[in-house]
Amino acid sequence: MPELVSVEAVTRNFPLDHSFVSALSNASLHVAPGEFLAIAGPSGSGKSTLLNLIGCIDQPTSGRILIEGVDTSKLSPSRLTALRRVKIGFVFQTFNLIPVFTAAENVEFPLLVQGVSAAERRTRVAAALESVGLTARASHRPDLLSGGERQRVAVARAIVHRPALVLADEPTANLDTKNATQLIDLMHDLNRRLGLTFIFSTHDARLLEHTDRIVRLTDGQVVSDSLTSVGSSANKSYDSSAFTQAPKEGLSHGQVLTLSL
Amino acid sequence: MGKFLLLAFRNVFRNRRRTIMTLIMVGGGVTGLLLVGGFFARMFWGLRESTINDGLGHIQIFTAEHFNREEKHVLDTGIDNWRQVAASVSTGGHVRGIAPRIEFNGMLSNGVKSSVFMGSAVDPVAEQSLGFTPHLDAGRDLDSKSGGEIEALIGAGVARSMSVKPGDGLTLLAVTSDGALNGIDVQVVGIVNTGFKEMDDRYLRITLPSAQRLLQSNRVTNLVVGLDNTDNTDLVAAQMLPQLNGQPQHLVLKKWIELATYYKQVRSLFSTIFVFLGIIVFFMVLMSSVNTLLMAMFERTREIGTMLAMGTPRSWIMALFVIEATLLGLLGAVVGVAGGNLLGVLINHAGIHLPAPPGTTVPMTFRVMHVPSLMIGSSILVIVSLALASILPAIRASRLQIAEALAHV
Repeated sequence: MPELVSVEAVTRNFPLDHSFVSALSNASLHVAPGEFLAIAGPSGSGKSTLLNLIGCIDQPTSGRILIEGVDTSKLSPSRLTALRRVKIGFVFQTFNLIPVFTAAENVEFPLLVQGVSAAERRTRVAAALESVGLTARASHRPDLLSGGERQRVAVARAIVHRPALVLADEPTANLDTKNATQLIDLMHDLNRRLGLTFIFSTHDARLLEHTDRIVRLTDGQVVSDSLTSVGSSANKSYDSSAFTQAPKEGLSHGQVLTLSL
Repeated sequence: MGKFLLLAFRNVFRNRRRTIMTLIMVGGGVTGLLLVGGFFARMFWGLRESTINDGLGHIQIFTAEHFNREEKHVLDTGIDNWRQVAASVSTGGHVRGIAPRIEFNGMLSNGVKSSVFMGSAVDPVAEQSLGFTPHLDAGRDLDSKSGGEIEALIGAGVARSMSVKPGDGLTLLAVTSDGALNGIDVQVVGIVNTGFKEMDDRYLRITLPSAQRLLQSNRVTNLVVGLDNTDNTDLVAAQMLPQLNGQPQHLVLKKWIELATYYKQVRSLFSTIFVFLGIIVFFMVLMSSVNTLLMAMFERTREIGTMLAMGTPRSWIMALFVIEATLLGLLGAVVGVAGGNLLGVLINHAGIHLPAPPGTTVPMTFRVMHVPSLMIGSSILVIVSLALASILPAIRASRLQIAEALAHV
């Protein structure tokens, strides 16, 4: 299977006074389409830097990153913007929703930027919100949503334009355990059903139990890259009990997720 | 595009306190311009109408020679067949009436003391029909049917200098059209206050037949045409030209604006002051808005980073800020126009009096005119000012490094 993401001997240094600090050092990583991968490590280990580099919102000091075989270091800024717009979805630790937009309008934004027609946008937004169980909250602004709901809106926004890759930087850091578990299960479910590739960073050990593959970073270096029991199991089993506790508009136990993106 | 405009519109009201402060500032600028400009416009209008109605008229007809050379003899550049000319040009529409005039000068004396006068001779009936009534401090206007003494109006300064009052007599001396010195006795029937001290010190007015008798000429200096509306001046002037061309003498017409030197000077001076005020308001709005918009940009750094990360073109971010500022300018203009008109109505209703302007003796009322072109111009000024103010924040926002912007606290 061709690789979706290839991180090849990437180093990222940041200037500090008259010297520099190395956030990532000679890191390599290969991700196939459809993977559900966690980048783990303590604070300052380089997780966010690696995600930023894969997401083409930062440039490596050395090494190169390929997305679907395209060397991103050779792309012009406008083509990098276009690549992010089409190929990548982002989920942020602090949700980063546009506060003056409703949940539906936030989800619609990536489609707006892509120039998708209004009718098509409506269909896709409805489907994306349904997939995260927030159809009934579509017209609410972020300040009227709970933390868990906001992050689910952020997930819907990240997947609505059918990206090849979804990057989530500490997506559960601002959520309680229940909401964090719901979110990680939601992402995993989307990964399985839609074949979306998820790469997320976390230092929450509880969440790592749900991931297929864990890449561990320490001091900017990849110290391990391993499949978990979830990932190595032929019959993947996920704890979906969290969804059974979801609000009415959310997903109920045994409900088949449908997402016609 | 609709959603993008919606985003800009909602962003305007995101920080309501700051938006209200900005609207007050922008609206205050527009209100100030409307009040000052409205006051100036009312002053221009008042000065224009008073200049016309104080005797200048809307159009004046002269012989071409009047402007080409100095008179060798009194009235030798005057209009000869003025009755025929008046009859021919009064047939057109919008003409309320035509008043013949003789401008002359000479000496006046009370028997003890002499002084120079600048005189005008008029047909009182024609003048009154056009509303050219002098401002009398005492006495009455000239009466064309008076069969006794030759009547005269004199300026307040002349009356003071000659120590005369209505009913007293004066002797006028002037050079006739054939160069001789002639004199007539007149009776003062009224004291005139023109509003200008220099004029009041030289002012004399008698009837046309009296002047023709004094100057020994049947000619008049000019014909003053009064119209129903000042706005019809150009139209009537165009209609009159062919009729003037058919006269034996070479006649020319002058519109009021060509003769109202003082009006033009005042207008030029106050227009310059207004432009200066406009420039001050423009830069005031510009500088304070740059600061406000920069603050808004810094507060939204992470959000801009998020939008850029999602693949939003940098030009869109720039456009977003410019549109927001333009919307803010538009709202500020609406607030300013509403405030300016409301305050204008209140000021007009209050009837505030101002001291007499320099060179005049009549106090003026502070009145504000509601001028649509001024409202549009002031609004455009602040909208452009805010749009320009947004360029720096817009450029900064569009150039943010995404990773740094996302880490912004």
